[in-house]
Amino acid sequence: MAGERAVGLVRELQRAAGGHLPPFRAEELRQALEEMRALYERNQADVSEAKAGRTDLIFLIRFRHCCLLRNQRCIVAYLYDRLLRIRALRWEYGSILPNAIQFHMSAEEVEWFNRYKKSLATYMRSVGGEEGLDLTQDIKPPKSLYIEVRCLKDYGEFEIEDGTTVLLKKNSQHFLPRWKCEQLIRQGVLEHILS
Amino acid sequence: VRFDTYVVNTILLLFLQRVLLLVASDVDALCACKILQALFQCDHVQYTLVPVSGWQELETAFLEHKDQFKYFVLINCGANVDLLEILQPEEDTFFFVCDSHRPINVVNVYNETQIKLLVKPDDDLDVPAYDDIFRDEEEEEEESEAESDGSEPSDKRRRFEEVCFFCFSLKRNKISYYIREILFDYEQYEYHGTSSAMVMFDLAWMMSKDLNDMLWWAIVGLTDQWVQDKITQMKYVTDIGILQRHVSRHNHRNEDEENSLSIDCMRIAFEYDLRLALYQHWSLYESLCNTSYTSANLKLWSVQGQKRLQEFLADMGLPLKQVKQKFNSMDISLKENLKEMIEESASKFGMKDLRVQTFSIHFGFKNKFLASDIVYATASLMESIEKEGPETTNFIKALDSLSRGNLDKLHQGLDLAKKQLRAIQQTVASCICTNLVISQGPFLYCSLMEGTPDVRLFSKPVSLCLLSKYLLKSFVCSTKNKRCKLLPLIMAAPMDVEQGTVIMVGIPPETESSDKKNFFGRAFEKAAESTNSRTLHNHFDMSIIELKTEDRSKFLDALISLLS
Repeated sequence: MAGERAVGLVRELQRAAGGHLPPFRAEELRQALEEMRALYERNQADVSEAKAGRTDLIFLIRFRHCCLLRNQRCIVAYLYDRLLRIRALRWEYGSILPNAIQFHMSAEEVEWFNRYKKSLATYMRSVGGEEGLDLTQDIKPPKSLYIEVRCLKDYGEFEIEDGTTVLLKKNSQHFLPRWKCEQLIRQGVLEHILS
Repeated sequence: VRFDTYVVNTILLLFLQRVLLLVASDVDALCACKILQALFQCDHVQYTLVPVSGWQELETAFLEHKDQFKYFVLINCGANVDLLEILQPEEDTFFFVCDSHRPINVVNVYNETQIKLLVKPDDDLDVPAYDDIFRDEEEEEEESEAESDGSEPSDKRRRFEEVCFFCFSLKRNKISYYIREILFDYEQYEYHGTSSAMVMFDLAWMMSKDLNDMLWWAIVGLTDQWVQDKITQMKYVTDIGILQRHVSRHNHRNEDEENSLSIDCMRIAFEYDLRLALYQHWSLYESLCNTSYTSANLKLWSVQGQKRLQEFLADMGLPLKQVKQKFNSMDISLKENLKEMIEESASKFGMKDLRVQTFSIHFGFKNKFLASDIVYATASLMESIEKEGPETTNFIKALDSLSRGNLDKLHQGLDLAKKQLRAIQQTVASCICTNLVISQGPFLYCSLMEGTPDVRLFSKPVSLCLLSKYLLKSFVCSTKNKRCKLLPLIMAAPMDVEQGTVIMVGIPPETESSDKKNFFGRAFEKAAESTNSRTLHNHFDMSIIELKTEDRSKFLDALISLLS
C-alpha cells in the first residue's frame, strides 16, 4: 500500500511520548524516498503517454501524485518533529547530550543540534550585560536560593565549578545552591525535598 | 568547652562553611538533626547528611568525606570515645559533638582545638580534674619511684605548664599517661545526659531562631529518652519544666479568644495524660494490654491478671465492648473525665503513676498526637524489618515522618509501632510463662531462640532494648525472689542467622530510684578480652554488643565470674 512506510515513521514518533527521541530510521526513510522516486518515474512515463492521447491514465497519474504528496507530508513531519525534540533536549540535558541519545541522531541532526547550540549561546551571551544570561537555568521560578536534595542512587563524586566535590551516595541528603543541583534533579539522580 | 557565648560564636563560624552531619540512628538524634537542618537552611549553610548506625559506618563515612569537608557535626555519637584516636583526622579538621552519651571521653573534654562539645552548662559532667589524669612521662617516672599519690603543689604547677605544652602540641601521641584508677571510676558507668534535641533547641533559642516546630522536635527528643528509660524521673520532670516555659512562650495565643490562631496552625499543649501507649490511635483495651506499665502491674500474662483487668475496667464502669473499639469511636460520655477516672481506679490496683507530664501537638481537626506516639512511630519506622533497600532507607523514612507534611509516613509508623508493641508483649508473656528469665548470680539472663515469633524484630538494638526493659519490669512484678528483683538483666537475641551472630544488651536493675547507670559496657569489653570471643562493639551505646553464637557461653561465664 503506498505511503505505508512514511506513515509508519510518523506512527513511531507518535508512540514515543514525552519528548523521547527514538533511533533515526534511515532505512525506512530510504525506502519511503525510493517509493516516491518509483511513483514519480511511473508518473513521468504516464504523463507523456497521456499527452499522446491516453486520457484514461489521468486518474492514475492524479492518484500517484496524491501518494507523492502524502509521502512528502509524512516525511517532512517526521523530520521536523525530530528536530523539535532535539531542540527540547538542549533545554533538558544541557549542551552535551548523553551518548545514548546521540546514538539515535543522524549526522545531519547532530549538525543541526550543534548549530542550534551555537545560536542559543550567542543569543544568551548578548542578553543580560557582560556575562550573558543562562536561560536554561531556573526554568521554573525558584522559591529559594538553596534547596535540600536527597540522592536516589549511588552517583559517586560530583564536582562543582568552584572545585568542591560532593560525594553522592544513595540516601544521603544535601543542602546545596539550587543551580548546582538542577542538572542532576532533571537526570533523576537527586530528588528535591520540600519540607 | 562549655556552652556559652564563646561556643555560640564558634558555631556561628561553622555557619560559613560546608558541613558534614553524621547522625546516629535513634529518635533523639533524628529530632536534633531536624532542628539543626532547619537552622542551617535558615542561614544557607551547605551541608551533607549521612546517617550512621554504628562505629564502622561512622569511620567509613569519615574516610569517604574527609577530603571534601573540614567541619563535621556528630549527633548522638562520638562523645564517649577518643575521637581523634579513632578517626585520625588532619589538624585542620573540626568536630562538633552533640551527644547525650555519658561519660564523655576525657580526651574530648580537654581538647581545646579540634573537638567542640555541645553541652548545657548545668549538665554535670563529673570529669576528673585535668591534673589528675594528664601527666608527662618524666613526672610519671618520678611518681612511680616516690609512690606517693600526689606530688608537691609547686612541682605540679611546673609540670602542668609543660604538660599543657605537650597537650596542645600537634602530635597527639605525646599526650600523657592516664591514671587508670581515676579513669576507671569515671568511665565505669554509662548513662545519658540532656537530650541532643533539647541542646539543639537551646542553640536555636540563643540565636533567636527557635520556632514552634523545633520546639516540638525537642519535646519528641526528650520523650524518646523517657520511653527508652535512659534518664531518671527527676531529670525528665526538670526538662519538661524547661520545655513547658518555651511551650507557653510559643503557644499562648489560644487563650485569647479574639486573637487565636486558625485551627490549621500547629500548636503544642501541655498534657498530664495517661501513659498508655498510642491509646488515642488504638483501642483503650489494646493499649492497656500492650503498655508495659499496666501489663506488668496487672500481670496480664497470667489468667488472674486477665481477671484483674476485667475488674479494673468494671471499676471504672467501662463496658468491654466500648473499650475494645477504636478510641475515637468510643462514646463521648465515657471519654469525658476519662483520665481522672482511670487514674483513680488505677491507684486502687497499685498503679499510682498512670499519668505522666507530656505534651501534645494539634494541627487541623483530625491531627492530634502525643509526644510518645511520635516516638513509637518514628522508632518503628527506623527499625522496620521490611527490606526496602539499604538500611539508610529506613532512617530517611523515619526522618521524613517527623515533618508534618508526611502524615502518611507517620500513620505507617503508628501501624508498625502497634505491631511492635504487640510483639513485645507477647514475647514478654511467653518468656515469663516459660521461665526463660534465669538468674545467673550477678545478673538475670534471657535468650530468645531462633524461631520465636517476631524474633527478627528484636535483632535491632532499640527494639531489643525496649523488649528487655519491658521484660525486666514484668519479671520484677512476677517474681517473689527479693534478691532477683534487684538484679540487672542481659538479653540475647539472634542477629544474623547466616553469619551466626547474636546481639546482646545489658540493662540496669529496675528500681524506684534507679539512676539509670549501666556498667555493662566495660563488663562486656573485659569479658570479650579475657575469653578472646569474636565480638563487635559496633553500637554507640556500649552496653550493646554483637558476638558469634559459638562464643556466647564462654562469654557469659566470663561475665558471671567478672561480676560476682
